[in-house]
Amino acid sequence: MSRFFSNKRLILLMLGVILLVALISYSLRDRDNVSFPEQIIKDTVGAGQSLFSGPAHFVTGIFDNVDSLLNTYKENQHLKGRLEEFAAVQAEVTDLRSENDQLKEIVGKEADLRDYNPIQSTVIARNPDQWEEKVILNKGESDGVELNMAVMTAQGLIGKVSLVTDFTSTVELISTQNPNYRVSAMVIGGEEGVFGLIEGYDAERRELLLKRIDAEIELEVGQQVVSSGLGGIFPKGLIIGEITEITIDEFGLTKLAYVKPAADFTLLNHVMIADREMPETDGEDNGAAAEEEGS
Amino acid sequence: MIRYILPLIALVLFFLEPVFGLFSPLQLDGDYYYIVPRFLLMFLIFVTVYYDAKHAMFYGLFFGLLYDVFFIDIIGLYSFLYPMMCLIAGYIVKSVHRNLIVATLLTLVLTALFEFMLYLFFSFISMTSMPVNIFLTSRLLPTMIANSLFLVMLGWAFKSVIVARLIERENSKA
Repeated sequence: MSRFFSNKRLILLMLGVILLVALISYSLRDRDNVSFPEQIIKDTVGAGQSLFSGPAHFVTGIFDNVDSLLNTYKENQHLKGRLEEFAAVQAEVTDLRSENDQLKEIVGKEADLRDYNPIQSTVIARNPDQWEEKVILNKGESDGVELNMAVMTAQGLIGKVSLVTDFTSTVELISTQNPNYRVSAMVIGGEEGVFGLIEGYDAERRELLLKRIDAEIELEVGQQVVSSGLGGIFPKGLIIGEITEITIDEFGLTKLAYVKPAADFTLLNHVMIADREMPETDGEDNGAAAEEEGS
Repeated sequence: MIRYILPLIALVLFFLEPVFGLFSPLQLDGDYYYIVPRFLLMFLIFVTVYYDAKHAMFYGLFFGLLYDVFFIDIIGLYSFLYPMMCLIAGYIVKSVHRNLIVATLLTLVLTALFEFMLYLFFSFISMTSMPVNIFLTSRLLPTMIANSLFLVMLGWAFKSVIVARLIERENSKA
């Protein structure tokens, strides 16, 4: 033990610790872009990782298929029940859509916050240590992915792009503990949309927190929450989840709702990145840019 | 070919970790259990025990850096902890008898220590707000069970590969 703490080693150890603290504090800063060496490492490791994740997805796919085969009968019964309902809803949707298009034409409105180009992408890795909720996708800047774009599965919104390199992008899931992570959202189902911010995640309940809702507004359990598109980056109308409980927030000024996410974050495979057609504003999807202008 | 077998195995394990990470968290009876694959760390400790600590620390630094940059964007965390675990393993292994059971136990203890240090770090920078008792039951315990299964299955394979490489090195020196 005494040899270990000889002068030379002690100095080396101290230098190491100083370097470590410096590096960690450098990388913990809020960074929007990655440095060049990091980009190279990310792209190379990403390419290698794709080689491994392909077969893995294939195997899980087989398991999924077997699983759904076993449930086929029950599912079929259920679906048959829904089919009649579906035909009616389908007719209504077509009718409403054409009416909506006609009305838009009359008003002369072309672009809509709802429109987006989906970029199909595959999850190549999930941060294996699972402290930070991050996944890595196989599409990057060269495919048109940009910072802060919305990422979703068929079920609903799962997160936004937090870092992007040429051929990969890192997605921070909405189940993160990051306090600066906000998504502007709205509750549908009432006579008008009710606006709020998805801000924070309750890890024990596994539910999102919808904050800053006007205290005057009555909400109901079971109403759907979708993205509002007013944050400047996300398209409008991506499903986030469903309200499970409504309370007053810690200051007693606004309402807080617990939202059960519609998407399942556990086994992610194919996801879509939403590239909004309307021009995007800078910043995160929280209206921060607008706030700064106002103040 | 056998000359490069150790870094090659380390590389494969590095890429396999996130693939197995895709299956976690497991949901049983409404509770979630996180399983964190630590194949690379266990392999590095085996390399320390049966080969030598310097090589293990070097590999640890390299793969730790890759891990930091690619997955967690905090540079210096894994690239510090991997070599440190190898260093500790190197000091302990000098004073104990080297056999497979001792190596396995040592590896598991160090893996648990590694997990705990990461937990301390992430709660220090308030990336997580998980209380200690939940950490122990929902993360550490399932992780250790899964990793010990992996090690029991592949520990002897690690050992035989490393020993084969060691013998080859001795021969080339002689």
